[in-house]
Amino acid sequence: MKILVPVKRVADPDNANKVKVSGDGTKVTSDGLEWKMNPFDEWSLEAALRLTENGSSKDRVGEVVLVSIGPKDAVQTIRQGLAMGAERGILVESDDDSLDSHVVAQVIAAIAAEEKPDVIFFGKQSADGDSNVAGTKLAEMLDWPLVNYAMAISTDDEGKSFTVKRELDVGQQTLKVQSPCVFTSSDRILQPESVKNGVTPADFAYPESEGGRYASLKGIMKAKKKPVDEKSLADLGVEAKRVNEYVKFDLPPARSGSTTFVESVEELVQKLHSDAKVL
Amino acid sequence: MNPLIDDRLAELLFRSLRLGDLADLPAFADHDPETFRLYVDACRKVGRQVLWPTYPTTDAEPPTLQDGRVTLHPETLRGFEHVRELGVIAATRPEAVGGQQLPLAVATLAHAYLMAGNLSTAGLAWLTTGAAHLIEAFGEDALKATFLAPMMSGRWTGTMALTEPHAGSSLGDLTTSATDAGDGSYRIRGAKIFISGGDHDASENVVHLVLARIEGAPDGVKGISLFAVPQRRPAAFGPNAADGPLEPNDVHVAGLIHKIGWRALPSLALSFGDEDDCRGWLIGAPHRGLPQMFQMMNEARIGVGVTAAATASVAYHEALAYARDRTQGRALGAKGGDQVAIIEHPDVRRMLLRMKAIVDGSLALSVATARFSDLAANGPEAERDRAHAILDLLTPITKSFPAEFGYEANVLAVQIHGGYGYSSEYVPEALLRDQKLNSIHEGTTQIQALDLLGRKVVAGGGAALRALNETIEAAIADARKASVDEAIIAPLEAALGEVGKLTMELGMKGAGGDLDGMLGHGVDYLTLFSIVVIAWQHLCLATTARSEDSDFHRGLVQSARYWAATELPRVALLAERCRVDRSYLELDPSWL
Ligand SMILES: Cc1cc2nc3c(=O)[nH]c(=O)nc-3n(C[C@H](O)[C@H](O)[C@H](O)COP(=O)(O)OP(=O)(O)OC[C@H]3O[C@@H](n4cnc5c(N)ncnc54)[C@H](O)[C@@H]3O)c2cc1C
Repeated sequence: MKILVPVKRVADPDNANKVKVSGDGTKVTSDGLEWKMNPFDEWSLEAALRLTENGSSKDRVGEVVLVSIGPKDAVQTIRQGLAMGAERGILVESDDDSLDSHVVAQVIAAIAAEEKPDVIFFGKQSADGDSNVAGTKLAEMLDWPLVNYAMAISTDDEGKSFTVKRELDVGQQTLKVQSPCVFTSSDRILQPESVKNGVTPADFAYPESEGGRYASLKGIMKAKKKPVDEKSLADLGVEAKRVNEYVKFDLPPARSGSTTFVESVEELVQKLHSDAKVL
Repeated sequence: MNPLIDDRLAELLFRSLRLGDLADLPAFADHDPETFRLYVDACRKVGRQVLWPTYPTTDAEPPTLQDGRVTLHPETLRGFEHVRELGVIAATRPEAVGGQQLPLAVATLAHAYLMAGNLSTAGLAWLTTGAAHLIEAFGEDALKATFLAPMMSGRWTGTMALTEPHAGSSLGDLTTSATDAGDGSYRIRGAKIFISGGDHDASENVVHLVLARIEGAPDGVKGISLFAVPQRRPAAFGPNAADGPLEPNDVHVAGLIHKIGWRALPSLALSFGDEDDCRGWLIGAPHRGLPQMFQMMNEARIGVGVTAAATASVAYHEALAYARDRTQGRALGAKGGDQVAIIEHPDVRRMLLRMKAIVDGSLALSVATARFSDLAANGPEAERDRAHAILDLLTPITKSFPAEFGYEANVLAVQIHGGYGYSSEYVPEALLRDQKLNSIHEGTTQIQALDLLGRKVVAGGGAALRALNETIEAAIADARKASVDEAIIAPLEAALGEVGKLTMELGMKGAGGDLDGMLGHGVDYLTLFSIVVIAWQHLCLATTARSEDSDFHRGLVQSARYWAATELPRVALLAERCRVDRSYLELDPSWL
C-alpha cells in the first residue's frame, strides 16, 4: 500500500502571538517564526503510518511518501516525518507567497500522476490558513473518491478498498471506498484502535495520544539516509497562479480577561451569561 | 502551559556554543546540525506532552513496597516507556553498543526538557546510562555481551550502589565485601542505602553497580572494587542472556526511603547476600573501583547540574506566568484604580530577574561543560588535554552552582506565588523539594568544594586555571569587539583577577601546611568561583544575541547587567573571608 501524505510547515501554533501582519495588511510575515508540522497533517501522517506497518512488531509493510511545498527549509518538516517512520520525501520548491489551495492541489495532482499512490492522506485543514479546501479540491481534480474527517479506517485487502467511519453532528457514517482515494482525518483517528490494516494483530491497541508518534533518536538517524527528491513547480508543469487573492489580514483582538473564582455552579452560569455573555 | 525550558535559550545555546560544529568532528560524522535539532525537538515534545502532565500525580503518589517488591505509579511506567523509545539511555554511546554517538552537549540540552518534565522518570534512564557506561568502559567482553544490550535498550535498568549507612561522603570507609567464588564471580555481602531505582516494575531486571572490598584488599580508597550485581542473574551469559531464564540473586529490598522529593523514583535500602548466594562480576581491575568511577564522574555530575538547571527553569516559568496573571495592589504612589499584575511591582521583577539569571546561567554552563567533555574525548587531538583540564575544573561548579543557586530560584518561585506557593495545590513547592537533592547526591556541595580547591585548581601546577582564564579572556575580547556594555565586562575582568590571586594565596597556605586555612572556606571559594564562571556564561549569551533586536535579547542583556552589578561585587567580599575569617575554623564544637 502506498500513501502520499502532504505535510505543510506552519508557524508554531503555541507561539501564535509572534505572528505579525505586513504593513499593508495583505500577508502574514514569517520573520522569526518557529515552524512545525501542521498538526492536522501530523494526524493524517500517523494514520498513514499505522496503515502501512505491523503495529505490534513495528515492521513496515507499505510505503508512505511525504510531500511538502515551500521554501528550501521546509525540508525540515519532511525530515521530521521521515524520523517518525515515513519512507521518503518530495520537496516542491516555491515561496510561500505564490501558493494557495488551488496551486497546492495542482502540485499534488501532478505528483499523484507520477507516484500512483493508493491513498492521498491530507490534513483536514492547515492550522494557519484554516481554509479546509486543498484535499477536497484535489479529489475533484483527480476525480477520486473523497472521505473527509475520517475517524476510523480499516482495510483487509492491502488498501484496494477501505471501510471508513466519519464523525457527523448527527452520528456516524460508514462508507466503503475503492482506492485510489483521498482522505482527511479527524482527531479521533488517533484513538488506540481506529486504524486496522489486516496486518497488525486485531487486538493490538496503540497508546493514547494527542498527536503523531514521537520521533526516536534511531528514527532521526535513519531519516538522514532516506531520500528527499527536490522538484520545482515547472518540473511538475504547474504554474504558480493563485486563484485566491488575499485582501486583508487582521490579528485577532487582544484577549481581555481575568480569572475569577466562583462559589457555585449557579454563580458560574450566571457569570457566563451576564459577564462573559457566552450563554 | 509551562514551556519547561525557554526554546529561545536552547536555540541561542546552539549558536553561542556552536553545537552544530560538533558534527564536523570525525566521532560525530553520522550527525549533522539537523539531527541534533530534531533530537532536541523530540525530547522537548516528550518532556512537555508526556512527562510534565504526569508530574503532580507521580509526586503525590509515590511507589509502594509490598512483599519485597516495589511498584511504580502507572504514569511513571507510561512515561518511562516513552523515554526508553526515544533512545535516551544509549543516545551518547557508540553504535557498536546500540547507541547513536550523540555529542554529550546536545544530549545535555535535549535531556534538560525530560528532566524538567519529570525528573524521576527521566532519572531512571539517566541512572541506567551511567551504570551501562561503566560496564562499557571497563567490563570484560563477556560481561559487555551480557549486560550492555538489555541495558542500553532499557529492558534492564541500572543503579549506582555506592552509599552505605556509615559511608556516604567517605566512600573509602565502605565495608560491603566480595569473596572470590573461584568460578569467575564473587560472592557479595553487605548493605547499601539510598539506592535509587534499586527495584521497580519498569524493567525486567536491575543491574546494580556495586562498590565493595575484595577480601584482603588494602584499607581505604585504594581497596575498593566495582562489581556488576544483577538483581536476578542470567542462567547463561552472552548476547542472548536477557532472553534466557533469570534466577534470583539474593539481593533484597530492606526498606523504601520516604523522601521529600524525587518521590516517583524509589530510593531503597538494599541488602546483598543475606543467604550467601549473591553473585557479582568484577568490572575492571581489582581495587580500581573508585578511580574508574571517577572517570565517569564528570558526566554524572554534569547530569546533576542540568537537572538542577531544569528544575529551577520550570519554577521560573511557573512564577513568570503567575506574576503576569495575578493582580494585587497598585503601583507605588498610585491612589485607587484597578489592581495591577504583580509583575508590575519592582521587587517581583527583581525576583524574576534573579531567577532568570540563575536559570539561564545554569543551563548555559551545563551545556558548555558538556561540550568540553565532547572535545576532551573526541575533539582535535591537539586540543584534548586542554579541554580535559577545563572540564575537570568546571565539573564541581557545574554540579553545585545550579543546585545551590537553583534552590534559591525555587524558593523565589514559592515567594512569588505568596500563600498559594506554600500550598501543595501549586507546583512550586514540589519543585523546591526536588531541587534540594541536587546539592546532596553525587557528592555534596562540601565535597565539590574540596574537589575544586583541594584537587582541580592545584592539579598540573594550576594549568587548568590558566586554560580557563585564557578562555574567559577570549570571550571578553569577543564581547569588546561586539561592543557589549563595559558595565558587564569590566567587573568580570576584575573578579577573574581576584580568583587568580586568591587561588595563589590559598595554595601557598596549603603548601605551608595550613590545610584548614586553605580549605576551611572551600565552599566560599566554590561560590565566588561559580559567580565568575556564570558571569562568563552571561557574557557569552549577551555577545551572541547582540545581532538580534528582540525582547529576548534585551532580557539576556538585563540578566548579564544584573549579575555583574549584584553578584560580581560579592567575589571580593567572599575572597576576603577566605583570607581572614577564622570564626568557624576556631569554633570549638562544645561552644555550640
Ligand atoms: C534521594 C537520594 C537518592 C540517592 N541515590 C543514591 C544512589 O542511587 N546511589 C548511591 O550510592 N547513593 C545515593 N544517595 C546517597 C548520597 O549520595 C549520599 O547521601 C551523599 O553522598 C552524602 O552521604 P551521607 O548521606 O552519608 O552524608 P554524610 O557524608 O554523612 O554528610 C553529612 C554532611 O557532612 C558533610 N561532610 C561530610 N564529609 C565532609 C568533609 N570531608 N568535609 C566537609 N563536609 C563534609 C556533608 O557535605 C553533609 O553536609 C542518594 C541520596 C538521596 C537522599
